[in-house]
Formats: sequence, C-alpha cells, structure tokens
Amino acid sequence: MEYTGLGRLTERLCSVPGPSGSEYNVHATLKELLQPLADEVTTDVMGNLLAVKRCGIENAPRLLLDAHLDEVGLIVTGYDKGFLCFDTLGGVDPRMLPAREVTVLTDPPLHGVIDTLPPHILKGSEMDKTVERDKLRIDVGLSDEAARARVPQGTPVVFYADCIPLGKNRICSKALDDRAGAALRVSVMEHLQNKKLAVDIYCQFASQEELGMRGSITGTYSVNPDEALVVDVTHGSTPDAKKEETLLMGGGAAIGVGPNMTRRMSDKLLALAKEKEIPYQVEVLRGCSGTNAWAIQVSRSGVATALISLPVRYMHTPVETMDLRDAEAIVRLLCAYIESYGEEDMPHA
Amino acid sequence: MLETVKTLCSLAGPSGWEDEVRDSILERVLPLADAVETDPMGNLLVFCRGRVTLPKPVMVCAHMDEVGIIVTGVTDEGFLKFDFIGGVDRRVTMGRRVLIGQNRIPAIIGVKAYHLVSDDEEKKVPKTEELYLDIGAESEAEALERVHLGDCGIFDSTPIEMGEGLLKARAIDDRCGCAAMLKLMEGELPCDTWFVFTVQEEVGARGGRTAAYRIDPALCLVLEGTTAADIPGVAEEKRICRVGGGVVIPFMDGGTLYDRGLYELASKTAEKNGIAWQTKTMIAGGTDASGIQRSRGGVRTLALSVAMRNIHSPACVASVEDLENLPRLAALVLEELVNENS
Repeated sequence: MEYTGLGRLTERLCSVPGPSGSEYNVHATLKELLQPLADEVTTDVMGNLLAVKRCGIENAPRLLLDAHLDEVGLIVTGYDKGFLCFDTLGGVDPRMLPAREVTVLTDPPLHGVIDTLPPHILKGSEMDKTVERDKLRIDVGLSDEAARARVPQGTPVVFYADCIPLGKNRICSKALDDRAGAALRVSVMEHLQNKKLAVDIYCQFASQEELGMRGSITGTYSVNPDEALVVDVTHGSTPDAKKEETLLMGGGAAIGVGPNMTRRMSDKLLALAKEKEIPYQVEVLRGCSGTNAWAIQVSRSGVATALISLPVRYMHTPVETMDLRDAEAIVRLLCAYIESYGEEDMPHA
Repeated sequence: MLETVKTLCSLAGPSGWEDEVRDSILERVLPLADAVETDPMGNLLVFCRGRVTLPKPVMVCAHMDEVGIIVTGVTDEGFLKFDFIGGVDRRVTMGRRVLIGQNRIPAIIGVKAYHLVSDDEEKKVPKTEELYLDIGAESEAEALERVHLGDCGIFDSTPIEMGEGLLKARAIDDRCGCAAMLKLMEGELPCDTWFVFTVQEEVGARGGRTAAYRIDPALCLVLEGTTAADIPGVAEEKRICRVGGGVVIPFMDGGTLYDRGLYELASKTAEKNGIAWQTKTMIAGGTDASGIQRSRGGVRTLALSVAMRNIHSPACVASVEDLENLPRLAALVLEELVNENS
C-alpha cells in the first residue's frame, strides 16, 4: 500500500518515543513540521507544545485545537537480579505483556523483553490465568550491577513496534493514540496555509493525557480559548468487543454528542459533515469522554468544547490500527469548521 | 555462527511448511556435501565424508521447523480464525503481529482495548477459539483474496542483539541447531556423517523418526534449543537451565532418557576442553531424539542444546556465547566418539 501524505506523517510521528512525561522527545519533529505553518511554536513547563496561527484580525476568536501528545508506556521502578521492575504509564492490559519487546529509554536506548514463565512451571489451570503486572520483569540482558548502573529508576519504556500497512486503507503502529491526532492536525495546518481565516488557531499538543489529562489543564489555562475542538481516538469495532461500545472502522469521523460536548458545536459539526459530504458517525458519550475535552470544558470559567474521534482498534497496544480514510475525514471536518468562522463570530465592539 | 543464526531466524518455516528454510540451507550445503537428498517427509539429508568410515554412519540432526499459526476460517467481517501449530503459549499471543503465507501478509492477533476489558476478563487468557486475526480486510471476500484456509503464519520478529551478549529472535529453536550443523560441515569431520535438517519436530518429532530409519545410524547427536526459566520468581530447581550457563547436556527430558555413556562422554569432553556446560534441573521439554532413539532396533542418542528464555514465543532470548559453543562442543564430541569407536 502506498501511504498517503497523512499516513507517512503518522508513521513519522509514531516512530518517536513519547510516553507520558517524555513528550519532549517529539517536540523537535513537531517544531520542524509546524514552524513553516505557524506564526509561533512554543513549549511549556508541563511538556505541552503549542503552535499558534493568527488570522491577523484584531480580537479574533481563539480556537483551541487540542490532541494529546503522549503515548502509553512503562516506567522502571527497581531491580530484581538484573531484571527491571516496572509500573505502567497509562492503562496497559497485563495480558499482552509477557514476551513483549520494549525499548528502555536510556541513552543509548536498551532493547528489552518482558519475561514470561514457561508452561512447565505452571499447573494446567494457571496457563489460563493472567500473570499480574507486578510479577513481570523486563529482561535487558544485564547483570544486576550493570542494570543498576545503566538504567536509573524512573526511566521510561515504550513498546518496540514500527508502523506497517494493514490491508488497503489501514495502518498499524504503536502510539497511534494519539500521534494520529498530531499528524492529522499538522495536515490541517498544511491545508490552511494560504487560506484567509477569521479565527486564531491554537494547536495544542498536550502532555500526560494518559495519566489524567494533566497537560491540557495547564495548557488550556494559558491559551484561554473561546472554543475548543479536541481530537482523540475511540474504539474501533472488533469481534471481542460489544458492538454498542465501538465505532466503525472506515465509518468516518466520530462526532461526540453528550454533556462533555457543547451541543451547538456538535450540531455544527454534524451539519458541516452533511453539507460537505464528509463521512461521519455519531459517538454518544453519556458522561466523561475520557479525553482532554473533559478537562478543557471546565478550564477557567468554562470553554465551549467539541470532540471528534478517530476509531482505533486494539488501543493501548503496540498494534493499534486505524483507517486512513477516517483520519482524512477528520482533517476535512476540522478544516470546514475552521473555515466556517466569519464576520458574525467577531466580538462586538 | 551468530550471523548464520540471525539469517536462518529471519526465514519462515512453521511445521509442514519448511520449504523456505530448506531452500536456503540447501544452497549453503551444496558446496560442502558429498551427497544431498530430500526425503518424502521433507527432511534434508546431507552426507559428508570424514577421515574414517565406521561400519554405520553417525547422524547429526536439528529441526528446521518452528511453531506458528494456521488459518482455519474467515468471518463475515473479514477477520480470520486460526489455530496454533506446535506448542504456543496463548499468553504470548495477544496483540501480536503475524506474517501469513509466502507473501508474508501482515496480520494482528487482536485484543480489544484495555478500557473495554472487565475485571473478570482481565484475569483470564482468552481461549484459542476466541482469538482472531485482522489483516485489514473489510469482508470475507476481501480476506479470501489475500489468504486461504490452511495458510500458515509466523510471528513477526526480527533478530536483535541485546544486553551483554544476548540474541533476541523468533525460531532460535531450532535454527541454532541448523546453524551449528552448517558450521560443523565447514570443518574437517572425524567420520562419515549424515547431517539431517528435520521437519515437523514441533508437532511430535516426526521428521527425525523417518530420517533415522532411512539412515540407520550407529548413533545420533541432536542439536537443539531448550527452555530456560532463569528469571526472577522461579525457584532455583525449576529454572531447568540458565541462559549463558553453557551448552545444555540433558540426561533426560519429556521424550527421551539419553544414552548415559554418551552423556558422560559429552560432559567430560566439555570439561576437558574448558567449555561451559550444564544439565537440566527438571525433566521437561523434548527433542527429535524421542523419534530417533526408537528407530529400527534402537539408536544411541545424545542431545546438546542452547538454553533460551521465552522459547516458542516471538522473542526468544539466548546467549551468543552458548550459541557459539554449540558447534564447538559438537565437533569435539564427534572426535571423541570416533576415538572411542576405532
């Protein structure tokens, strides 16, 4: 399969290891991509990166375009005879950890394999039981002394996996949650490059979402936006998940509807999708969306917020899978929303 | 040796589909062999003359096949159903990349997002029939354009050196034995020897059995990979053997009580030559020896193995020094055997 520009962009951004707290690893790549497209690219104390594109109109409304920059990972907590003890950075299913390959982010990085008890040690029924995460260790092939010297406690760890095409329209990688959101917003900025706009865009790459939306809390305070459009991933349908818990892969942009989303913004996104014939599906969220939208909506005195999600299968694993057609639909929808700002949105003098 | 192991580990050869491995090995052995045969099972038999001709030849073997998956069905939505070939631990299969068929079609063994996993589900490893493969197809018809029922697959994993002298790869069991045989062939052999690259070891030591019948050897040396549980949380006596602890010379495993005389000869040879060796602290695993030992009227058998963690997983871990010592010790053992028998 030939990647579209968006596919290549996603691959490039996913290849940089940026677990929660180490988002700065991705900053250089983003700066390179965004500096030609934005008026200003800055980073802050929490590890957020912000690209600002001004329209040139005085007191133009401020639109926050948010997605998180971090990916799930692990963190080294101690040593066990040369093996590394670890905890998780974000939600990681312990069932897919045994014999998993990881990159320990020392300088230079170390290749590691999470250990697994061979079947001969286990009694019949134990073969069907999950090994708890705190019993697992990372094998980096070092003596206890060398492990202690080379891998400080607190060293972050990411899954070892590259990005591959899967079928006609899909790609599979680690960190699609939410580097895909980074890639498609870079693509939005490219599309808007020579467009006359009536809104200032604050494109935020927020840190530590996987630990509880932490970066967006401070980042949104600093931006002080009038409106926020959040892009994140949602669950793509799989045979082992309930149909009502998932969205269709290739079904288009998932537009969030519910209390976490300001109704008039959701309605506007739905209307724009229909008008421009952009593939979309509705994601009903009865409470917390589990995304930065939850934190952003209650920033300062409240921010009108909407959420657009990309269906991703196998979320938080090294084999997250997305459909490029859905990402393209989101790019189109974001551009349509941004270009819809006009005179009537200008603050009254 | 290391480079050969890495090269052979990058080839695909689930049991019954060893063609790619056999073709590659055949190309390498042609300049070294005095005779080459492929038998009806698919074993590759390579004859090399040595300094002496004993009444019956010596047989050395290692298996070409590896564990893998086989496609058993396609769902309406375009997912594949599959089963395992050989002993694969389901606990290392979730969220894995697999390559299917000769065209190496990428596929994912799916696992739904952790967010959707209930507390009960989290405690259990799904049964094989609950697992599925995703090749990015959106319908049954689209899936069947790319894969067929019965297509086999391997884990997607590239050999990588790691830590202090370790190698991570898929299928080191038993490409390390195949590589050691290639190494032996390059040197001078003490006696006429049949090297057999066997098939179907992982589904019941079936290739070795027919090859031994055909060759009718005086004795057989099996070169293998064996499971090591030298990880934290496992009691010393249950660790079986240690990665980097030397060549494993088993006195017994799940399939074979090895010839005691050969066991002693091998361990003494290792000590005499300062080659690190160890034996197994648990009766576990099995090798082609089980099929070979009971061939015809019986064959004296010995195994020399390399210890590896996470055997049969996409990420086996073995020691490079152990890998290099395997052909070294095998050559010295052959030499001793000939001295003893002439």
